[in-house]
Amino acid sequence: MEDKKITYEESLQLINTMINKAKDAYHDTGVGAMLWGLVIAVCSLVRLSEIQFGYKLPFDINLITLAAIIPQIFITIKEKKERKARSYDDRFIDYIWLAFGISIFLLIHVVNLTFAAWSPVSQEYKTLAGHASAFKFSEFVMPLFLILYGLPTFITGAACKFKPMFWGGIFCWLCSVITVYTPYKIDLLLTAFSAIMAWFIPGLIMEREYRQVKKNSVVTNV
Amino acid sequence: MFKELDPILHSQLRLAVISLLISVKEAEFTFIREKTNATAGNLSVQLNKLKDAGYIDVTKQFKDNYPLTICRISKKGIDAFEDYVKALQSYMKPGQTS
Repeated sequence: MEDKKITYEESLQLINTMINKAKDAYHDTGVGAMLWGLVIAVCSLVRLSEIQFGYKLPFDINLITLAAIIPQIFITIKEKKERKARSYDDRFIDYIWLAFGISIFLLIHVVNLTFAAWSPVSQEYKTLAGHASAFKFSEFVMPLFLILYGLPTFITGAACKFKPMFWGGIFCWLCSVITVYTPYKIDLLLTAFSAIMAWFIPGLIMEREYRQVKKNSVVTNV
Repeated sequence: MFKELDPILHSQLRLAVISLLISVKEAEFTFIREKTNATAGNLSVQLNKLKDAGYIDVTKQFKDNYPLTICRISKKGIDAFEDYVKALQSYMKPGQTS
């Protein structure tokens, strides 16, 4: 491109082209989304297999979500360094995911407290009634998490016009409704599916697009 | 009566730069160079012209010991771009010649 005068039509066409090029500039590597999709899916499936096959790992499998924070920090720093242009909604999206992370840990805390409070009540009921309570709090835990999984995923998908995440968010909400009516084992299976649909598959698509853009962005000097 | 087109913006490379910057919060020099396919020297000259006109803000800093130039469109630049587009649209109205 040179410093030359242009016609009115060329001007309008150039404005259009450059605005579209700028829109096309934000390409997440997708690694973070793949990581979390995989981590949540593995946690759910391992927990499911523990129940199904009657064994117990020496540690709580959900602890790997804490371990996954470390690579996520490195991924975020690397992506920020590599990004050559920042959009107006970059910070907005960052805050949404930060709020999501905080909310998840708060929800885990509240759920653990509720389990601790419910357990003696449940025992007492069993002693008095001679049978276990029909109400199982565990049946309502996964829907709460799925509602939360859907929120940032849906907003990111809508804000960035990235349909796989948009639909992934909706899929999480749909599963949150289904899991209210299904047994805990099915809840775990649907949670694993949701993680794959909302994060792992969109992450794979992002990663493929990122590679493509990187391949095409060879500088051609005029 | 037709509005006169801003001579600073009515140039291929400068208009491309402003059109890019209007869509982002900020962009690095290398990003603008990649998207415009301009040479570093030519782009540098045009960025200086836009900066002198007050249409963009240029910040120079260092990243991993390498110089890093970050460009942002200014309020004056946004107004100038909007005026330029309005002027263009008035020229392009049906029944009027360019």
